[in-house]
Amino acid sequence: MLSWLSAVVIVVCVLFGLLAAVYAVRDRILDDRLLLVLGVLEVLLLVQAVVGVVLGARANRDFEAPVFYAYLLTVPFIAPFAGFLAIKDKSRWAMGVVVGSAFVVGIFIGRLNQIWTPHA
Amino acid sequence: MPEPTPGSSSDLPADRPAGRQNESPASNSGEAAGRQLTGKGPGIVLVALYALFALAATGRATVQIIADFQKAPVSYLLSALAAVIYLVATVALARGDRTSARVARVAISIELAGVLVVGLVSYLKPADFPDKTVWSHFGSGYGYVPLVLPVLGLLWLRRTQAAR
Repeated sequence: MLSWLSAVVIVVCVLFGLLAAVYAVRDRILDDRLLLVLGVLEVLLLVQAVVGVVLGARANRDFEAPVFYAYLLTVPFIAPFAGFLAIKDKSRWAMGVVVGSAFVVGIFIGRLNQIWTPHA
Repeated sequence: MPEPTPGSSSDLPADRPAGRQNESPASNSGEAAGRQLTGKGPGIVLVALYALFALAATGRATVQIIADFQKAPVSYLLSALAAVIYLVATVALARGDRTSARVARVAISIELAGVLVVGLVSYLKPADFPDKTVWSHFGSGYGYVPLVLPVLGLLWLRRTQAAR
């Protein structure tokens, strides 16, 4: 993966997770501000998916291609689904799920880079 | 995809003072006795975990079946079965009406039986499972969440259904 793109994605992901954690602690519901950060993260994840597919197709070396694509294409679904749950159920539990989704997205990005970088 | 789940399961309860999910129904029953839907409040965490496992199992099954189905067809078909069951349980728990609760109970019971049987067989006869599924070794590759999840699910269903 492009390292600067991964760095930006991770920074936004951490920001999203921290903001959601603040919301959960203060027992606030999903609002435009949090939704905006989610949107930015989502756009970045979609850009990453396109870049990843292009780079993966061009790569002339061995890497776990199926697993790589599986992570690449499933990671954009996680945060929006958590956001959807938080809109449906306006409880602190749902905001906790949003925090958890940021965490899972972060782990997925980490795995992606692990798979992409040879001998990591 | 082994890592995501242990992370998420340890992360979700952390930001909630009430703590672990298996305590939540008990701590919650006092204030919300009566009409608690399966997909509301603490149940939303269960829905999210089931959704995550539906995603993980679907991803794993798809990759395994596309990449090299002949290597371990039984394992891969079990992965696919697990994916379908997680998907059904996710939707049923999220809907939470009476029929859905019944569907969820059946799906989660099958899931519990599956993780127990596959977990046991994978220890007794490892040769039958040349490649892993979500359920092998009682879900040890996923932080044993596959083993805990159906128990939590059944307890939560009992709690919400008894309150009606």
